[in-house]
Amino acid sequence: MIEVVDLTKRYGKVLAVDRLSFRVEPGTITGFLGPNGAGKSTTLRSVLGLVHPDAGGATVLGRMYRELDRPLHRVGAVLEASEVHPGRSGRNHLRVLAAAAGVPRSRVEEVLDLVELSASAKRRVKGYSLGMRQRLGLATALLGDPEVLVLDEPANGLDPAGVRWLRDLLRSLAAEGRTILVSSHVLAEVAQTVDRVVIIHRGKLIQQASIAEVLAGAQGGTRVRSPEAPRLRALLAAQGATVTDVGEALVADFPPERIGELAAANGIVLHELAVERATLEEVFLELTGGETTQ
Amino acid sequence: MTALVRSELLKIRTTRSWWAYLIAIVLLTGLTVAATIGSSESANRSTSSFQLDLVDTVGGAVLFAIILGITIVTTEFRHGTVTPTFLAEPHRERVIAAKAIAAVIVAIGFALLALAVVVAVAIPWLTIVDAQLHLGDGEFVTRVAEQILWAVLWALLGVAIGAVVHSQVAALVGTLIWIFLVETLLVGLFGLLDVDGAVAYLPFHTLDAADGTGGENLLSYGAGIAASLGWVALLGAAGTWRTRRRNIS
Repeated sequence: MIEVVDLTKRYGKVLAVDRLSFRVEPGTITGFLGPNGAGKSTTLRSVLGLVHPDAGGATVLGRMYRELDRPLHRVGAVLEASEVHPGRSGRNHLRVLAAAAGVPRSRVEEVLDLVELSASAKRRVKGYSLGMRQRLGLATALLGDPEVLVLDEPANGLDPAGVRWLRDLLRSLAAEGRTILVSSHVLAEVAQTVDRVVIIHRGKLIQQASIAEVLAGAQGGTRVRSPEAPRLRALLAAQGATVTDVGEALVADFPPERIGELAAANGIVLHELAVERATLEEVFLELTGGETTQ
Repeated sequence: MTALVRSELLKIRTTRSWWAYLIAIVLLTGLTVAATIGSSESANRSTSSFQLDLVDTVGGAVLFAIILGITIVTTEFRHGTVTPTFLAEPHRERVIAAKAIAAVIVAIGFALLALAVVVAVAIPWLTIVDAQLHLGDGEFVTRVAEQILWAVLWALLGVAIGAVVHSQVAALVGTLIWIFLVETLLVGLFGLLDVDGAVAYLPFHTLDAADGTGGENLLSYGAGIAASLGWVALLGAAGTWRTRRRNIS
């Protein structure tokens, strides 16, 4: 559906994207993740024919973007919320693009309704909040009713209610069978929405997997609380476990069964025994070397 | 292409600067015509040459034509709207062509608006002072057509300049500096180098020759139009090449 092959792009001395390859499967929502400056925008802009790669390339729906017939009817994109003339009204911004893409006027009103911007459509974009601009961007992407959506940081500038609204919208768009590639530098924004993730760092692919696979591969541990913590700790250490103190509890890299049996055999009372899963955010930080910036 | 041109015309009409253009053309043309008639000798007013001068006031629209031509390209880069524009039409040369066509249409509109102002001011005024009117003569129709074509050439050159220099401020200021300073300096330089004949081929000298009123050291009318179109083609090709190659990031 979207296929990136050996994509390489250099800006001066900076290697923005380094032999990056990944696939976005039809009908999925794929999160495109990485810290700021990882090369996400450069990659998305290459996919959309806006940036010319130095090597490699990308196809959408089996073709290069510029070879698509009536591209806005096939692929919708939101890249930056600020790419609107500030003196033009939201409605006129959409009308201008609808005219270029051969989209009927009535569709402009439909997408304005869909992103809940009809009431402000007459106002000049200059007076819009960042959240309203994001909505206008989404409306732009949906003008041609495309089967593929590419969204670059669409949650930027949205308040928590806006993020939830976006999540629901993306879910309903995906339920209609669309393929969605959505980038973010904050995993939590998309973790509940996406089926798969492509994680990049410094222009290179780090991981391409389903959310479940990412979590399964994460380093976890077993959390255990006991009134006889020092004794339990010594026993675990003697068995070769790595034990760390987390507040009143201990976290050991043994499965809970083994810790429970060890405690029972030694008559130690346990108050808590639970599998500690790393959160996606921790996995993300680990994979990208902790270099996220907010 | 029709859809792209419609989109470009809609872009022009949906910002406030559109009204600024129209108001400026009406005011500038109206004041110039009024000043020309007001300061003229009454004996002169009935002459054909005086009334032709009034029609030449339409030529003031060329300034707005070139500013519009430059702006319809550079505003896209200034506000980042070039991204959605190129997503809608990834063949960038088609976007530039659509802008050129839209600029031509608007430049014709500008010239016709200026003409309407000339007519609206001059005819009642000259009638009141009992001057003999020549404004319907064939000579005038030709002159009006020449002025409209002139505005079209300026608009096309503006689009070509904008395609080469994407920064709006640099393109507008650079063009003004070129017109009022660089070409003057080059005239002096060409004189020193004993190549005075080359002066007539400088871009705004070729445009100067293309207004139908003639002038010293300029190309003939036809050659002026041809040479102006040559500059448009040269800069337009360079601008298209540069715009196609540019990374929109």
